[in-house]
Amino acid sequence: MNSGVWEEVGFAKLWNEWCRTTDTTHLSPAEAFCIFYHLKSNPSVILCQCSCYVAEDQQYQWLEKVFGSCTRKNTQVTILTCRHVTDYKTSESTGSLPAPFLKALKTQNFKDPACCSLLEQPNIVHDLPAAVLSYCQVWKIPAILYLCYTDVMKLDLITVEAFKPILSSRSLKSLVKNIPQSTEILKKLMTTNEVQSNIYT
Amino acid sequence: MFVPCGESVPDLTGFTLLMPAVSVGNVGQLAIDLIISTLNMSKIGYFYTDCLVPMVGNNPYATGEENSTELSINAEVYSLPSRRLVALQLRSIFIKYKTKPFCEKLLSWVKGSNCARVIVLSSSHSYQRNDLQLRSTPFRYLLTPSMQINVQNKMKSLNWEEMEKSPCIPEINDSEFCVRIPGGGITKALYDESCSKEIQMAVLLKFVSEGDNIPDALGLVEYLNEWLQIIKPHDPTVPSLRWKMPSSWRLLFGSGLPPALF
Repeated sequence: MNSGVWEEVGFAKLWNEWCRTTDTTHLSPAEAFCIFYHLKSNPSVILCQCSCYVAEDQQYQWLEKVFGSCTRKNTQVTILTCRHVTDYKTSESTGSLPAPFLKALKTQNFKDPACCSLLEQPNIVHDLPAAVLSYCQVWKIPAILYLCYTDVMKLDLITVEAFKPILSSRSLKSLVKNIPQSTEILKKLMTTNEVQSNIYT
Repeated sequence: MFVPCGESVPDLTGFTLLMPAVSVGNVGQLAIDLIISTLNMSKIGYFYTDCLVPMVGNNPYATGEENSTELSINAEVYSLPSRRLVALQLRSIFIKYKTKPFCEKLLSWVKGSNCARVIVLSSSHSYQRNDLQLRSTPFRYLLTPSMQINVQNKMKSLNWEEMEKSPCIPEINDSEFCVRIPGGGITKALYDESCSKEIQMAVLLKFVSEGDNIPDALGLVEYLNEWLQIIKPHDPTVPSLRWKMPSSWRLLFGSGLPPALF
C-alpha cells in the first residue's frame, strides 16, 4: 500500500466475541475492521485489509456480500495470512523448522507458478482464508493463498519479510515499487503504524 | 448445493450414494476415505454449503507429484460410474444450528439427482451399549421403510443385527422406546428425514471409542463390503492389504517429536 495511492471504497462490519464492533448504523472507516481499497490508477485492483476475526458462522455471509457484488469473470484473488508454526504437521519436530517460511495453496484455475512450495498433505487451512479459497475453487476463480508459518505471536519484521518473494509474482509486481529498499521501508512502517496481528492461537 | 467440477451436471440416476456422518471417532469419514482411495474414484463436484466449517488442503488421495496439487474443500463428491457408486466426503464439523438445514439440502439433492439409495456410514459411543450389545457384534444396521422392502431379506441372509430401540429418555423406566444413536452426529436426523421423505436409506454403524479409529474404519468398510461387494471377498490365503489408505492419513497424531525430549 506504500507504493501507490489507495482510496477507501468500502468496509464490512461484524460482531462476534472477538470482534466487538459497536452497533451503529453509521460506522466510520476508522472503526470498521474489514476495509476495502482500490488503486486510484487502476480501480480494478482492490485490496482488503481484514484485521478482525470472522467467525465460522459469518464466513459464508462475508463471502456472499464481498464476492456477490463483483463479477467472477476475469477476477484473480491473492490471499495473505499467517499461522503459528506449531500448526504445521511434519515428520520432523516443528522446533527444527526454519520459521518463518511460506507455503501456498492455489485453485485449479490459477495457472501461474507459486512463489514458494505448495502446502503438503496432511496440512490444511481453516478460517476466512479457507472460506475464500473454497469459494474460488468451487466457482472456478483463479486464486492463490500464501500462508506464512511463523514462531512469534506478534508482528515482527522477519515474519513480514518472509512474504517478500510474492512481491515479484506476476499479479503483484506491478503494484510494488522499490523492492530492494523494502526492508528499510518496512522498518519505518512498523514503527509508525500499529498493525493488528492476525495470528490467533 | 451441488456444483459440478466440469461444465455439465453428471447423471446420477440409479446410483448408490455412500456418505459419512461426522460421528464419534470420525469412523464414517475414514471409511469413505478408504473407499474413495481404494476404488480410485474421480471427483465430480463440490457440495458447497454454509453448514460446514470451511477448510482447504491439497489432494488427500494423491499418489504422486502429478496429482498432489489439486485443491480439496470440506465437502466433495466422487464417483465410479462403472459400479454406479457416488460418494460424498465431509471433512469438517457442522456449524451450530446448521445440521437440520444441511439434512434438508442434502436429501433434496438426493431426490433431485434420482439416486437409487443412500448408505450412511456412521458410529456410536461404545460406552452407551447395554449388556446385550456388549456381548454381540459391534456392527448394526438401520433401514428406512422404503429400503426395508428391498433389502430386508438380504440383511437376514447376512445375519446382520438391526439397531435396537432403547428408552427415549434413559433412566426413566416407563419412557417410550426409540432408536437412539449417541455420538452419531446427524445420523438420526438424516434417518428420520429420509423416513418421512420416503428415501431409500440404510445406516451402517459400529460402536466405537475415540482413539486410533483406523481399525474401526477398516471394520466398517468390510461390513459394507459383505453387502455391496465393492471389492472381492476376503481370501484368507492371499495376505494383502485390501483397502488402500490415502496419503493424507500421515501424521494423524501430530508432528515428529523433538529429540531433546528424550
